[in-house]
Amino acid sequence: MFISKNHLSRRAVLRGLGVTISLPLLDAMVPAQTPLRQTAAAPKTRLACIEIPHGAGGSAIYGHQQHYWSPVKEGSDFEFTLSLKPMEPFRDYLTIISDTDATGADPKTPEEVGADHTRSAAVFMTGAHPKMTEGADYYCGTSIDQIYSQMTGKDTPIPSIEMQVEDPGALVGSCGFRYSCVYKNTISWASPTTPLPMELDPRVVFERLFGDGATAEERSRRRSLDRSILDRITDKAAKLQMNLDAPDRRKVANYLDNIRELERRIQKIEKQNTTDPERELPTAPVGVPDSWDEHVKLMHDLTVLAFQADITRVSSLMMARDVSSRVYPESGVRTPFHSGSHHGEAPEKIEEFARLNRYHVSTVAYLINQLKNTPDGDGNLLDHSLVLYGSPMGNGNIHEHRRVPIILVGHADGKLKGNLHVVCKPGTTHANILLTVMQKLGIEMDSIGDSTGTVAV
Amino acid sequence: MFYIGPQRSLMKILLATVAAVVLCPSLYSQSPGPSAAESRRVVISQYCAGCHNDQVKSGRLDLAGLDAAHVETAAPQWEKVIRKLRSGMMPPAGMKRPDAATTKAFITSLESALDQAGAAKPNPGRTAVHRLNRAEYKNSLHDLLGVEVDPAAYVPPDDASHGFDNMADVLSLSTTVMEGFARAASKISRLAVGDLEMNPVTETFVLTQGMSQMRHVEGTPFGTRGGIAVEHIFPVDGEYVFKMNFWHASTGGLFGLTTSGEQIEVSVNGERVALLDINPRLTTMEDVRTPPIKVKAGLQNVAAAFIQKAGGMVEDSLAPFKYALSDLTTGTVPGLTGLPHLRSFAISGPENVTGPGDTPSRRKIFVCKPASATEEVPCVRKIISTLARQAFRRPVAEADVRDLLNVYQSARDKGDFEFGITAVVQAIISDPEFIFRFERIPRNLKPGTNYRVTDLELASRLSYFLWSSAPDEQLLHVAVQGKLKDPIILEQQTKRMLADPKSEQLAANFAGQWLYLRNLRDVQPDNYIYTDFDDVLKESMQRETELFFDNIVHEDRNILDLLTADYTFINERLAEHYGIPNIVGSRFRRVPVTDENRKGLLGHASILTLTSLSNRTSPVARGKWVLENIIGTPPPTPPPNVPALMENSENQKRVSVRERMEKHRSVEPCASCHKIMDPIGFALENFDGVGQWRVRDSGFEIDASGTLLDGTPINGPVGLRSALVNNYSEAFIRTFTEKLTTYALGRGLEYFDMPVVRSIQRDASRRSNRFSEFVLGIVKSAPFQMRRVEETANSEARH
Repeated sequence: MFISKNHLSRRAVLRGLGVTISLPLLDAMVPAQTPLRQTAAAPKTRLACIEIPHGAGGSAIYGHQQHYWSPVKEGSDFEFTLSLKPMEPFRDYLTIISDTDATGADPKTPEEVGADHTRSAAVFMTGAHPKMTEGADYYCGTSIDQIYSQMTGKDTPIPSIEMQVEDPGALVGSCGFRYSCVYKNTISWASPTTPLPMELDPRVVFERLFGDGATAEERSRRRSLDRSILDRITDKAAKLQMNLDAPDRRKVANYLDNIRELERRIQKIEKQNTTDPERELPTAPVGVPDSWDEHVKLMHDLTVLAFQADITRVSSLMMARDVSSRVYPESGVRTPFHSGSHHGEAPEKIEEFARLNRYHVSTVAYLINQLKNTPDGDGNLLDHSLVLYGSPMGNGNIHEHRRVPIILVGHADGKLKGNLHVVCKPGTTHANILLTVMQKLGIEMDSIGDSTGTVAV
Repeated sequence: MFYIGPQRSLMKILLATVAAVVLCPSLYSQSPGPSAAESRRVVISQYCAGCHNDQVKSGRLDLAGLDAAHVETAAPQWEKVIRKLRSGMMPPAGMKRPDAATTKAFITSLESALDQAGAAKPNPGRTAVHRLNRAEYKNSLHDLLGVEVDPAAYVPPDDASHGFDNMADVLSLSTTVMEGFARAASKISRLAVGDLEMNPVTETFVLTQGMSQMRHVEGTPFGTRGGIAVEHIFPVDGEYVFKMNFWHASTGGLFGLTTSGEQIEVSVNGERVALLDINPRLTTMEDVRTPPIKVKAGLQNVAAAFIQKAGGMVEDSLAPFKYALSDLTTGTVPGLTGLPHLRSFAISGPENVTGPGDTPSRRKIFVCKPASATEEVPCVRKIISTLARQAFRRPVAEADVRDLLNVYQSARDKGDFEFGITAVVQAIISDPEFIFRFERIPRNLKPGTNYRVTDLELASRLSYFLWSSAPDEQLLHVAVQGKLKDPIILEQQTKRMLADPKSEQLAANFAGQWLYLRNLRDVQPDNYIYTDFDDVLKESMQRETELFFDNIVHEDRNILDLLTADYTFINERLAEHYGIPNIVGSRFRRVPVTDENRKGLLGHASILTLTSLSNRTSPVARGKWVLENIIGTPPPTPPPNVPALMENSENQKRVSVRERMEKHRSVEPCASCHKIMDPIGFALENFDGVGQWRVRDSGFEIDASGTLLDGTPINGPVGLRSALVNNYSEAFIRTFTEKLTTYALGRGLEYFDMPVVRSIQRDASRRSNRFSEFVLGIVKSAPFQMRRVEETANSEARH
C-alpha cells in the first residue's frame, strides 16, 4: 500500500494575507507506484537564513551567567531559556550552537575599532572580514544562501529571495565609520563583490513569486497574456534572424534561448499555481504594512508559500538594520532596540534586552510553526528545511562579537537530528557553523570565511 | 569591391562620401615613392631597430622586419607606432631620440601612407546587433508613450567597454535582463493605458543621509527648505496618500527635536494640498501622512518640503556643518540648531478611482476611440500602426498590423477594448524590434564586402548617437523617402537634432562617461576631513560639468573651450564651495569665471573630486585622468606588489602628499611611469580632495611645480592648462574625436578606423574645431554609413 503518500487534507492558512490557500503539490503529480525519491516529491532541502542585529542579552557576562540565551545543559536534555522559550514547541527540530564568535566582524586594525555596526551584517553569512572602504571597491565574501542557490537555483523558477523588514538602504554611499553602506544593507552576497539588494515590499516579493495582479484571476489572465507575448517574440525573432549576418544570428539565438527560459519559468509557476482545482491564490499584499510584526510575518508567509510551491528553495531575511532604534510594542519592552542593546551591563537592563530577544525569537517561531504545519512530500516542510537564525553581534553593549546567538531549526532532510544543544570551545569562529550548514546541504567545501572546521550536530 | 545597392544614384553618393572622408589633397600631393619609404627606413634603423628587431623584439614588435615601403601590409603595427610617437613615449627616456622635426615628418609620412591605403580600400567594420541600454530604453519609452521609467527598477546595470555602456558587443542578453524587459513591458503598458482595476501600491522615494535639507531644493515651492521634489506618474484619477518619515538619531530621538513648530508642506504642481505639523516627539516608527488627496492622472510634480521658519544666521555653540546630518546626534542636542530632515517620501494609492484621466500617455496611444462596434477594428489598426511605426522605427507593413491585431483579439476575448490595447502596447514594447536595433544584411553578398546600411538604419544610428533615443517622425519621414543618404539632408537633420533639447543626452551619456562624471555617484570623501561635503554638493558638481558640456554642444563652440572656457554654471551651494559671492538659490546659472585657476574642465570640482581618494588628493589619479581623457595616452597598468603610499597617521610627523609621492616615485619601476603622470597631478595640488582651493597640505606650503615629460616646466593649474593648450591641443582633439567616434559607432575603434578618425579631425580643425563639425564628420564617415559583411559569415549563411 502507498497510504503514506496519500495526503488528503493539505490546506494551510496564510495568516498574514488572510486567505485560505491549498497546496501546489498535487497528489496527482505523484504517481502512486514510483519510489518517492524519484518523483517530484523527492526532498529538496530549503534554506532560510535570518539575521537580527545587536546581539543578545544572553551574550553579556551577566546574561550568560543567568543563561538568558544558552541553556545550562548540553546535549538533548537542555532546558528552555528566557530568550529561546518560544522555540519550545519545536524542541525536536531545534539545534542550539553556543559560544561561537563572529570573528570576521572583529576590528583587525586600530582604525576599524568602533565600526562594528557598519561591518557585522556582512559577516553573518559570509564569515569574511569586509574591506574598509566607502567607495565602490567593497569586498566581502560569498554568503551561504547564495552558494546554495548557485547549486539549486536552476531547478526552481527563482533562484533565491532576499528580504528585509526595515528601510530600504541604498547599496552605495557611506554609512559612517568609513564603511560603505553596502555592508550594512544586505546579508546576501552573490560573490565578494556582488551584494544583493534586499526587498522591503512584500508586494514586490509576491509579484516575483506569483506574478503581477491583485487577484488570482487577474494574475492568471496576465500570465497567459505574458506567455502569448513571449510566444510571439519567439516567432518574430526567429523570422528576423534570417536577415542577419552570422554573428548577429548567434546573438539572437542566445536571446531566443533566454526568452524560452522565461517561458519555462512562467509555465512552471503556472503549473504550480493552477493545477489544483481547490487552489485559491492569495490576494497580493498592498505594500509595506505599518506594523513591524505584521510585516515580518508577511515575509515569513511568503517564504513558506515559495518553499511550498518550490518556486525557490533559498531565502534570506534581515529583521532589522544595525543601529535600528525601533520599538516593538508587541514585545512589552519600551526601550528602542539599539539603546536596549547598550544596557551598560546593568542586570535589569540585560534582562529587559533578553525579553526583547525573546520577542524576536517568537516571530521566527511563527515561521517554524508555518513550516511544520505545511505538509511536503513524505513529511512537512520543516522536515525538509534548515532555518538559520542569529546575530553577528554578541554583547552589543561593548560591540563585542563573542558568544553570538545562533540556532538552527529544521531537520534538513534528516541531516540535522534536532533536540540538541552544542557548546563550542571558546574562540570558535561562527564560520564553522556556516561550513557545517553548507556540508549538511550537500555542498562540498572545505572552508568558508575564517572557518577552521565544522561543528558536530 | 563595393556593394552598390539597387539604385545607381547610390554610387555617386557613396563615392562622394568616401572621398570626403579620406582624401585630403594637401597631404597627398607628393606620392610616397621610394624616397618616402627610404626616409622611413632611415629613421627606423637609427632610432627603433635597436630594440624592435627580430632578436630582441621589444614589446613583441619587430619594426626592422616590416616593409617600410608598404606600410599598409602591417597597418595594425604602424598605427601602434604612431600612437607611441605622438604621445612621446618612444623612444624611451635615455635612448637616442630624433629631433622634433624628424619625428613629425616620420609620423606624417606614416599617416599619409596609411590614410591613402585606407582610402583605396576602406573598411567600415561591423557593429553587432545592438540592444538598447538603460538610457536608450528609458528615452525610447518616453518618446513612444510619454512615460517616465526608471530602468534600474527592472534591469541590472549595463556592462561597459571602451569606456562606454552603449557598446553593442557587451550589452548583455541574459535571462535577468530579458525578464526585466518583460516585467517592465507588463507594468508600463498598464501604467500608460491607465488600469482602472489596479491595486493600490506604495512608491517610496528615499533621501540619503548626505542630502542636507537646510535650504531650498530645486523644484519645491519657494519659501520652503529641504524635502524632495519628484516627477511622479499617477496612473489614474483617484485618491492618494502621501507619507513622510524623518531622520532620527541612533538613540531614537527625532533629528531636530530641539526645534518646535516645524511644519511640512505637500504640494502638487506647486499648489499646497496639505500642511502638516511635525511633533518633536515623533518616533522612528511613526510617519506623518496626509489624508487621501484627489490627484489627476499623469505626470505631476509633487513636493514635500519644510516651511522655512527663519533665515539668516543662527547662534550656535558650534558652527554647524553644511553636511547637516554628518552626525545624527547633533539634531537632538540643545545649543545646536538641528532641523528635521525628511528621510523618505511615499505615495500610496490609488483609492476611489474616478477614471483613467487625460494623460500624455493616453493621448499618445488613443489616436482614436471607437464609438461603435464597427469602428473598433479600424481604430485598433490605426493605434497599432501609429505606435508600431515609432517603436520599430520603420514603416509598418500589413503583416505587422495583422500580427498585432491577433494580440489585440486574443486579449479582447478576455477583456474590454482598453485591455486589448494594453496587450498591444505590452507586445510592442516587448518586441525584439523595439528592444534591439537590427541591421539587416542584403542578400547574396560575399564576405568582406562593404555595403551601405539602409536609410532607416542610418536614421536609428543617428538618433541613438545624438539623442540616445529613437528617431522622431521628421527623421523617420526623411528616411522613409530615401533622402537621408543625401549629404545635404543628412547635415540638415544632424544640425536640427543637435539643436533639439534632446541632444542633452550627449552630456549625460557621452561626457558623463568620457569624463568619468558618472563615477561621482560612488565617491564619498571622508567626512572627518571634508566636513561640509554632502550629496547636495556632489550632485551640483556633476550638474555643473554636464551643463557646461551641453553648452559647448548647443552653442557649437570650439571644443578647446572645454579646457579654457571663462564661464561655467553654478548654483548657490557650488558658489560657496568655490568662494564666488552673490549667487543665491538652488537654480543653476551661467557665470563668468574670473579666477584663472578655475577656467575650463580642470577647474571643475567634479573632475577634481572624482580623481581624489576619500581622504586626500591623488596626483597620480589626476595625472592619469589627464593622460587618458585629454592627451589620450593611458599609462600602462602598474606592476603587481607596488607598495602603498604611506598614509598620515596620528602620533607621527605629518607629511604632504607630494613629499610622500616623491619617495614612492624615486625608485624603479615606479619612476618611469610616475614621472609622466605625477607632474600633471602636482600642478593641481592647490585643489584639495573636493576641489577647493588651498595653499597648504598637511601644514606644508603646496609646491605645484614640475616638468612635463616633454620638458615643459609648469607651475600650478594655469601653467598646466597653457601647456596642454600649446603642446597638446592636437592630442586633445584627437582623443576627443576617438572617444566621440567610439560612442557614435557603439564599438571599439580598430586600426582600420584610424584614417577616418584622422580625416574627421583634419576637417574639423579647418572649421575652428566646432562641436558640430566632429559630429558631421562622424555621421558622414564610412563606418557610420556602411557595414562590412563578416569574413566568416559565408559558411553559415547557407543554413
